[in-house]
Amino acid sequence: MSGDHHNTDESGPAARVKALEAILTEKGMLDPAALDAIVDAYETRVGPRNGARVVAKAWTDPEYRKRLLADATAAVGELGFAGPEGGHLVAVENTDGVHNLVVCTLCSCYPWPVLGLPPVWYKSFAYRSRAVSDPRGVLKDFGTELGAEVEIRVWDSSAEIRYLVIPQRPKGTDAMSEDELAAIVTRDSMVGVEKIAPLARPGAKRARA
Amino acid sequence: MNASALNKLIEAARLDPEHVFSAPWEARAFAIALKLSEAGLFTWDEFRDHLIAEVGASDRIRARDGTSDHGEYYEHFLRALEHLLAEKGIATTGVRES
Repeated sequence: MSGDHHNTDESGPAARVKALEAILTEKGMLDPAALDAIVDAYETRVGPRNGARVVAKAWTDPEYRKRLLADATAAVGELGFAGPEGGHLVAVENTDGVHNLVVCTLCSCYPWPVLGLPPVWYKSFAYRSRAVSDPRGVLKDFGTELGAEVEIRVWDSSAEIRYLVIPQRPKGTDAMSEDELAAIVTRDSMVGVEKIAPLARPGAKRARA
Repeated sequence: MNASALNKLIEAARLDPEHVFSAPWEARAFAIALKLSEAGLFTWDEFRDHLIAEVGASDRIRARDGTSDHGEYYEHFLRALEHLLAEKGIATTGVRES
């Protein structure tokens, strides 16, 4: 059943989606304009820049950090981030001794309001099948090497709980504003597959990744 | 066996970090599923159960054959949606013997 049909035009996925949309629209269950709006939202507005704002605020506002660790859904809601797949969000914080890594072993559960939709690798068998059994190996694939003394905690997302990793604030960023900090927080660091590297020189800007 | 497969996907993501959908039909399928669940035709949990079944079937084949995937997630996603809509009697397009 692994898609033997999907190379012919009529049974290819694009044609099947088109057929589905046509019949649902005809039945009055769908408005094509509403679909455009959803696609636009997830391609432009709902994405990891939201999570980066949350992390930057947690780095600069100790009271906010406390609220985020106590009830992440409410704390990200304070910044206006809410929506599908945003309930029961848990923030986990990286420290010198603990590194957190997030996976969804069964499918693709991911905190949409703060990170948007997951990247291809997050949904891949290669990642899902190894993150729990070999987290250090997986991190190595991302170029992330942790000392043997660092404990790795792997969080398996589920229908009930989604996770946001609060990466460690890199050295050399003391003088940076919250906005500047948000610009250096990467999506991958909030899934826990990388650390944010220290800035080469304080105040230097880094390209968004 | 899967290390190099993961490396390829990581590399692709780094070359195109803003990448959300690989093809317009993926975006469309996602939007249809989200919209219908918001409209109450099914719950997202019901959809997820179907998605887990599709992904799980594919995983078992990969584990058995030692093969890796190449980002065909939305094909599982679409099959899950088709099966759920057929089960609910909402639409039977695309559902074929499998």
